[in-house]
Amino acid sequence: MRILADMMRAIQSEGEEGLGPTKILYAANLSHDRLTQYLEELVEKELIKEKNPESENRIYLLTEKGREFLKEFVRIERFSEAFGIEI
Amino acid sequence: MQAGLAIIRLDLVFEFISGIIALIVTYYATKAYNLTGQKRLSDLSTGFLVLSAGMFGRVIGTWYFLIRFGTDFEAGGVVITIVTIAYGMSRIMAYILFVIATRPPRHHHQEVTGGSMLLLATFLVDPGLEVVAIIVLVVVVLQTIVNYMSTRSKFARYVLIGFFLLLLSHIMMAQVVETPGFYLLSQAAQLLGFLSLLVLLVQAGRVE
Repeated sequence: MRILADMMRAIQSEGEEGLGPTKILYAANLSHDRLTQYLEELVEKELIKEKNPESENRIYLLTEKGREFLKEFVRIERFSEAFGIEI
Repeated sequence: MQAGLAIIRLDLVFEFISGIIALIVTYYATKAYNLTGQKRLSDLSTGFLVLSAGMFGRVIGTWYFLIRFGTDFEAGGVVITIVTIAYGMSRIMAYILFVIATRPPRHHHQEVTGGSMLLLATFLVDPGLEVVAIIVLVVVVLQTIVNYMSTRSKFARYVLIGFFLLLLSHIMMAQVVETPGFYLLSQAAQLLGFLSLLVLLVQAGRVE
């Protein structure tokens, strides 16, 4: 869950510009195989989307659903860490 | 009589509000558990649920006692004993769950009659259970201190204040038999503790 949130935070930090897989990989500290797997999962859940699906350069943007999810995650993260519970 | 009864009624109002806040924390912790699957959040949620159930049980039980038996402590002795023990046990169970949930990761005449009504307060307390609750809650408070010292977050501070006030309320409650005046103070400290947790929920929920 935290890995997915870290990936989404990295994408969100670039705003409307979006973020490519390599930068997401570094931001979330992932192997290439796991990155592909998680990106597919996020796209499938409609939390992120490709900026130009036809283009060869893949750039990802956060969807509205993704923004809402990230807000909820921040609330949950603050609540959990207040009790000393790591998520 | 009236003053003493008012204290007991006020105490029940405090307890009821605290129970509602405990239920809100339960809801929040359950939501967090459903999202993350973190087992400790489930323990936290169960702890607050048990705590709120105990509080509502005590409010209903004491209210029933007052309506049914009034100041006849002898007649209602069994009822109030059951309520007191169930309440004390539920709190100890809840605090044990908090110890598990918050443990650090591996790497807390009129006057005379009024006085006799206050005597009811001493019937609503089991000093033995209070001492056990204090011991368990001390562990919870120590763990929340460790968490606050390592994070220095304002959210962790609210939890620390909350559990510390709960501990304070138990320390005062344990002395109610000798000093019945502590009874309402203890309930007020408990309410303040839960209000601190409510502030945490409000503050944590503010995301731009």
